[in-house]
Amino acid sequence: MAISDDNELLGFMYACPFGLIELDETGHIGMINPNAMKHLLPLAGADGVENFFLATEKHAPELRNFVEGFAADFGTICDGHRIFVDLGRRNVGGDPRVLSCTLVKRAPNQLIATLSDISAQVSQEYRLRQADTWFSALIDEINDHALLTVDLNGIVLAANTSFTRQTGYEAADVIGGSVEAILSRAQSMGQTPLSITDQLALATRNGWHLFEGWETRADGQRYWCQRLLVARAEAEDEDDRAFSLVLRDVPKPGGKPDDLVELLTRDYLTGATNRMQFQKTLERERVRCTSQGRPMSLIILDLDDFKALNDAHGHPTGDAVLKRVARLGLEHAPERGVFARLGGEEFALLVPDCSLTETTEMAETLRQRIAGMTVAVPGARIAVTASFGCAEMGETDGSSDDLIAIADRRLYEAKHGGRDRVVAS
Amino acid sequence: MSAASQPTFETVQLIELEQMTHEACDALDFGVIGLRPDTRADVYNAAEQRLSGIDPALVIDAPFFSTIGQCMNNFMVAQRFEDEPDLDEIVPFVLTLRMRPTRVRLRLLQSRDVARRYVLVER
Repeated sequence: MAISDDNELLGFMYACPFGLIELDETGHIGMINPNAMKHLLPLAGADGVENFFLATEKHAPELRNFVEGFAADFGTICDGHRIFVDLGRRNVGGDPRVLSCTLVKRAPNQLIATLSDISAQVSQEYRLRQADTWFSALIDEINDHALLTVDLNGIVLAANTSFTRQTGYEAADVIGGSVEAILSRAQSMGQTPLSITDQLALATRNGWHLFEGWETRADGQRYWCQRLLVARAEAEDEDDRAFSLVLRDVPKPGGKPDDLVELLTRDYLTGATNRMQFQKTLERERVRCTSQGRPMSLIILDLDDFKALNDAHGHPTGDAVLKRVARLGLEHAPERGVFARLGGEEFALLVPDCSLTETTEMAETLRQRIAGMTVAVPGARIAVTASFGCAEMGETDGSSDDLIAIADRRLYEAKHGGRDRVVAS
Repeated sequence: MSAASQPTFETVQLIELEQMTHEACDALDFGVIGLRPDTRADVYNAAEQRLSGIDPALVIDAPFFSTIGQCMNNFMVAQRFEDEPDLDEIVPFVLTLRMRPTRVRLRLLQSRDVARRYVLVER
């Protein structure tokens, strides 16, 4: 190639507004353009950007699993996979920072990764979804679906005739009472019951809240109900705020959407809640616990010497250990608790409604269970331990960032105090 | 100028860079990138050309952080020039010189008395 062509190609790669990375199956980076480096450096720091999997381990540990699980010599490993990089962001209402990653195998041990910042698109999608819901609400009213108007405390102010037809309850019997008397508690993801106060708080914050689940008619018959709670825009005064609650009698959805929910909210390897879902739940529970004056605690745990274990026994063994720890964590999560994989060998257990003392006991039990388990490898059984940091909302400045920061700091102290221990103060 | 008094990556002062001739700047053994207040590049010395492999014609007068210097367009470099009117700091960094990840040290230089700001690169 002529020198001037070479120079132009180089200039083109330097200026390309899209991240391009060439790597091998271990993640070692051969070539990388500046746009890709712009995204990787803040994630990994200057010490971590020579290996793509190490650089993304904290935010998207599944990338390595995708590559390891891809047996063919050629082909697309993942396309537009979303990496959420904003856990612990300062501005809760701010736009999310999301990277899109595509991985293509072009020959055995030769991979190309692309990275692009899709934060603006994700925010746009969110706003569109919100607008969609608003439009649906309007159409629902036109089509005369069951509609309740409720006030800030969940007291029914009005009910239309479709409501009576759908549920069998007379308007006069429900007006003036709480909607909780006639509707079940909403089950979110099949695990977190939300009181009407929680739902109203979410609708106030986001403008709307959508959920579905079993409801019971006045005659005891069950039906699958989609509910949309919308904060009505006309309220000028905060205290006068009213909400529309639309109820739709719909066929029970099949397995597919549940699979999708599973895919979007679970960590690929361990089945624990993923980082993105954890972030959402953390913020939602923070709002709920704070508004109700209830405690909320967080445990962050990190497996001890995990890198050495991986180096000595290989990634498949490391993965087996992560799965075992996740199973223990999921078993030990209390009713509203959420056990999540934050990245690499770091997990979190969010414990709403629990004091720091109760939570510390929970962490101590989990520590003993992890220390007591062994994982079989050819010719040996290996033991692992984990270090724990616990914190409670009451110790923070009121933000979930600070809760994470305090738990993290204590985890760090546990590591430096000799590992395999819980630090909660 | 004798070899002994040649300014180094760590010791060179912002004002020295401002007063330096093109030839002297090209004689330095570390990369020098000078940016005007609108972040367009107007200094790109010979050492930097050798490191990056880029023809200065592609760099000069282009908005640096949105073209050639994209990897510095984050809180680690570009944001610091925005936030700190007086800046003299060495940061470990990884550049993509000729598309290879390359560990370097950057020295960020800015003073409220001087319009031009500098990024020095030591491989």
